[in-house]
Amino acid sequence: MFKKYFSLVTILCLAISPLSAQDDLLDELNEETIQETKFELPAFKAMKIGNLQSTKVADKGDLYLYVSHRFGTLQNGIETFFGLDEANTKIQLAYGLWEGVQLSIGRESLNQTYSSALKVRLAKQSDQMPFNLVAYGTANINTQISKTGFPALKFGDRMSYATQLLVSRRFSDRFSFLVAPSYIRQNLQNLNLTRASNHNQLAMGLGGRLKISKRMSINLDYAYNFNRDSRSLYNDPLTIGVDIETGGHVFQLLFSNAQSTNEPGFLSNAEGNWENGNIFFGFNIVRVF
Amino acid sequence: MKKVILILCLILSQIGVGQTYFTRTGFTEFKASVKAFEPVEAKNNSTTVILKTQSGDIAAQLFISAFKFRVALMQEHFNENYMDSDKFPKAVFRGKIENFDLNSISGTSELDLKGTLTVRNVKKEIQTKAKVSKEGDKIRLQSTFIVEPGDFEIKIPNIVKKKIADKIIISIDYELVEKK
Repeated sequence: MFKKYFSLVTILCLAISPLSAQDDLLDELNEETIQETKFELPAFKAMKIGNLQSTKVADKGDLYLYVSHRFGTLQNGIETFFGLDEANTKIQLAYGLWEGVQLSIGRESLNQTYSSALKVRLAKQSDQMPFNLVAYGTANINTQISKTGFPALKFGDRMSYATQLLVSRRFSDRFSFLVAPSYIRQNLQNLNLTRASNHNQLAMGLGGRLKISKRMSINLDYAYNFNRDSRSLYNDPLTIGVDIETGGHVFQLLFSNAQSTNEPGFLSNAEGNWENGNIFFGFNIVRVF
Repeated sequence: MKKVILILCLILSQIGVGQTYFTRTGFTEFKASVKAFEPVEAKNNSTTVILKTQSGDIAAQLFISAFKFRVALMQEHFNENYMDSDKFPKAVFRGKIENFDLNSISGTSELDLKGTLTVRNVKKEIQTKAKVSKEGDKIRLQSTFIVEPGDFEIKIPNIVKKKIADKIIISIDYELVEKK
């Protein structure tokens, strides 16, 4: 009786032990694995949503080339070939100087503007942080205006600046949203267009993207300017675009009522109007090296 | 009496499992580069590995998002477009080193390594050779094997097909220490 029982238990034990060893090993492995802070994937593919800056910052050592084109207004139709004859081109280089710090320089043909910008990531969305936080600042020099048109012109009058706090969240793998409280300083105001001088302006930018496939998304951004005179000929910029991503490139095709791609340009001086079709077709091509 | 036998028996059966060797900083690399194009390769330095010296049973796992690329944008595309690493964060290997005997290893032994690699929740049987050596009180394990993107249902769009190799070479180099 005892012998019988003993052998039964032994067989049982031997049968159980290799089975449990199998599963134990994967459990043991999980125990050994250290769970690190899980960062969310970036909320946006490119440094810009359309016109508005996104929370994306070039990673350390990555060099990005941005070529932006805004054709002339579509309003004039075939006369200017839907704006092809009046294109505004911007070439910009952005470099990730340190982790989370991006420096860029650019030149735009509209107003022959030189621009430089600094973008600094303050926080990255993760399982402990609900938002991406990025600070952005840019200074622009308008080299087109001349003493002929403005006899009292000083160098400082050529300058314009914008400072933004960019707050974004990737709500799901398809939908991301961004808000951008902004301060704009315009040293020069053309009263024929702005009607009243508002050198210091506050604006609130809003932007979002909706992915429609793995490599394509629809993007929209808008900015409300609190300090624009009601008689001003300028409007709030609204941009609608599509992102197409292929390997090392992102193509952004868009329509906007602003022709400038610089922040002080489009946040203050969007010259077009969606209501009467005075809008501009354009694209940004982003290439990483 | 019966209980004593039962407990004794259970303890005895567990002793047989033997020593455990492990690491949390295992090196795993993959190369999917095509000549004349940008290199597509990445390194992972935080692979967790456990080896049972009695049986040669081995298990390893790593976080897909911990693979580091030369260009950060490539890393982002790898996670977002190819590996869906938010849905499938880990790759796991569960297998066995055949005829593993810690005491008989002198210099470097080449042994058969067999097991199942799970990536994106898809399982693939792996059979390869592993170089096993004893370095002081460490066990070093090196191996190479080849997988294809299709093995794990990874779709490569036509536009980049030429730039990504069909055969992906995976290399591992693990230095295991005894777990006390």
